[in-house]
Amino acid sequence: MVQFFLESDRVAEFVTHLMKRKPVYAPHRKGRKSYSFERTRDAAGVVLDYPRVMQSVKKFFLPPREQLLSFDLGDNTCRAGEVEPLDAIFLGVHSYDLAAVGRLDHNFSEGRAERNYLTRRQGALWVGVSYEPDEYHFAGSVGIDPYDTEGFDIFLTRLLDGYVLEVLTPAGESLLEGFDLPAHEAGKPAKKHFQQHIYVPQDRLNEVMSASYNNPVWEETALGCVGCGTCNLVCPTCYCFNVEENVDITVTKGSRDRHWDGCMLREFSEVAGGEVFRETLAARQRHRVMRKFKYISEKTGQPWCVGCGRCTAYCTAGISIVNIVNRCISDYEKSTVSAIR
Amino acid sequence: MNLNQLSPRAEMEDLYLPVMAEIKETRRLTDLETLYTVELPDGRDLGHRPGQFVEVSMFGIGEAPFSISSSPTRKGVFELGIRKVGLLTEKLAELEAGTKIGIRGPFGNGIDVEKFQGKDVLIVAGGIGLVPMRSMINHVRDRRDDFGRLIICYGSRSDRELLFTEELEEWEREKRTEYHVTVDQGSPAWKGNTGVITTLIPGLDLDLPNTVCCICGPPVMYRFVLLALKSRGLADRNIYMSLERRMKCGVGKCGHCQINGSYVCQDGPVYHYPDIKTLQEAL
Repeated sequence: MVQFFLESDRVAEFVTHLMKRKPVYAPHRKGRKSYSFERTRDAAGVVLDYPRVMQSVKKFFLPPREQLLSFDLGDNTCRAGEVEPLDAIFLGVHSYDLAAVGRLDHNFSEGRAERNYLTRRQGALWVGVSYEPDEYHFAGSVGIDPYDTEGFDIFLTRLLDGYVLEVLTPAGESLLEGFDLPAHEAGKPAKKHFQQHIYVPQDRLNEVMSASYNNPVWEETALGCVGCGTCNLVCPTCYCFNVEENVDITVTKGSRDRHWDGCMLREFSEVAGGEVFRETLAARQRHRVMRKFKYISEKTGQPWCVGCGRCTAYCTAGISIVNIVNRCISDYEKSTVSAIR
Repeated sequence: MNLNQLSPRAEMEDLYLPVMAEIKETRRLTDLETLYTVELPDGRDLGHRPGQFVEVSMFGIGEAPFSISSSPTRKGVFELGIRKVGLLTEKLAELEAGTKIGIRGPFGNGIDVEKFQGKDVLIVAGGIGLVPMRSMINHVRDRRDDFGRLIICYGSRSDRELLFTEELEEWEREKRTEYHVTVDQGSPAWKGNTGVITTLIPGLDLDLPNTVCCICGPPVMYRFVLLALKSRGLADRNIYMSLERRMKCGVGKCGHCQINGSYVCQDGPVYHYPDIKTLQEAL
């Protein structure tokens, strides 16, 4: 592995270099405290030191709304929506967000592979950046370090006056061609400490959550929850979607579109005739959290939560997924201790 | 990140593109239900198992999952029995023979008919639950010597709402079909049993170790039918049930049909009772 040093005041130059190779998508400042992944038009607008973007890079591969097919009502025919690979560089991605893309890759390639998602995923190149865990991040508890370079082509580790730039793949090496950087000899900085933790190792979470189906925490959480679905909306691993028809104003053509959906919304589990299989907010909270730490991880062997902290940071009711899981853990530990006694 | 490392590059079929199939015939079953006979392009066989479903769509209206009502033993066309309950089903009810509709599937596991061979088959169907069960019933009738007895318990709200009435009469007459029917409330003309479906179960003559049961009906029905079957001594391992969920994609992607960790469109809609009796959201 080759390491270079990228000084802070050469970052814009580096971004400009990348922009000459391929389109670049990177975090940009949106408001006083918010950041968004956008197509970079001006290298100076790229922000590499940010706590989190509200929407992860998921939005590029699984767009909030997309056409599955278009139809003609006149001759009753349809054709598949057009999907292009995103031949682009994703710059300034945090390790948990790329881990989340890996989770989505699994979902859309397992069983019957989905053309829409997987076509978009072809050709993406990844330039990661380390981050300073804030009061919401807990990625360390699900095994994703802020310096985790897995899956990246290039990774930038932040130092005081710049970044250690690691070239991790041949694709990363070719991205750097024509951009001279001094080699970096010294090691990387010490491990970052998270402020938030889940209090059992991730390989025990299945066991804990399996015992927590009837925990009062679901009812208690539901007392504050307003069922808005923001937690689903900002989650980088949530992939559920709904499908709807849209007819244009001529009423001769239209499209069948999918859009993100969320299991926290009441209609999500409604069937014909009006039966709703998760009627209460408690049942929906349980479903959401169990999906992240039990239902899917039992099948895939890894938590479906990447510890980004978004669902907690953006919750309109101040509900913390870490607190929910830790409550399940402490109740479980108490019950096993009393069983031993 | 290289996708090829994650999974072998699967063939990129278009999961959401329907084939256009022609409605060959429509038959009114009741005021609410219609039976559609559908033919795939070139008379291609659907290749389904009893208990599977297809996604049916009309452009500009929508798409929804429906059980296949015909038996795989009857080739060339397939049948869908559909109740008017919403926009799509209302519009479907207006369609005439010759119209084309979108079909995707078949999806779901369906009934593993091999496992049922040589056994007595008990079907418990409530209301529109007869539509998917009819696929299994006719499979057994068409392969009659592969199975033991065929016992059908059918419950309906009223005699006016009974489905497939001509076929019911056939089952009634057939020597090798033991057909029992009850209605919650009969009209003055109704001569048969009155009462909920569970009232049929105590009187059944069952060879318990050799009986497999398939249940399909409205959500409220399952618990009571299960209780009645248990009190007869039918073992859990001999019970299968077909469950309903909202399945938008049919291929395990959209998340709508989850019961805890199980996807109804993948692991169901027909479940072996021991596999779901601890899933608290199943019923």
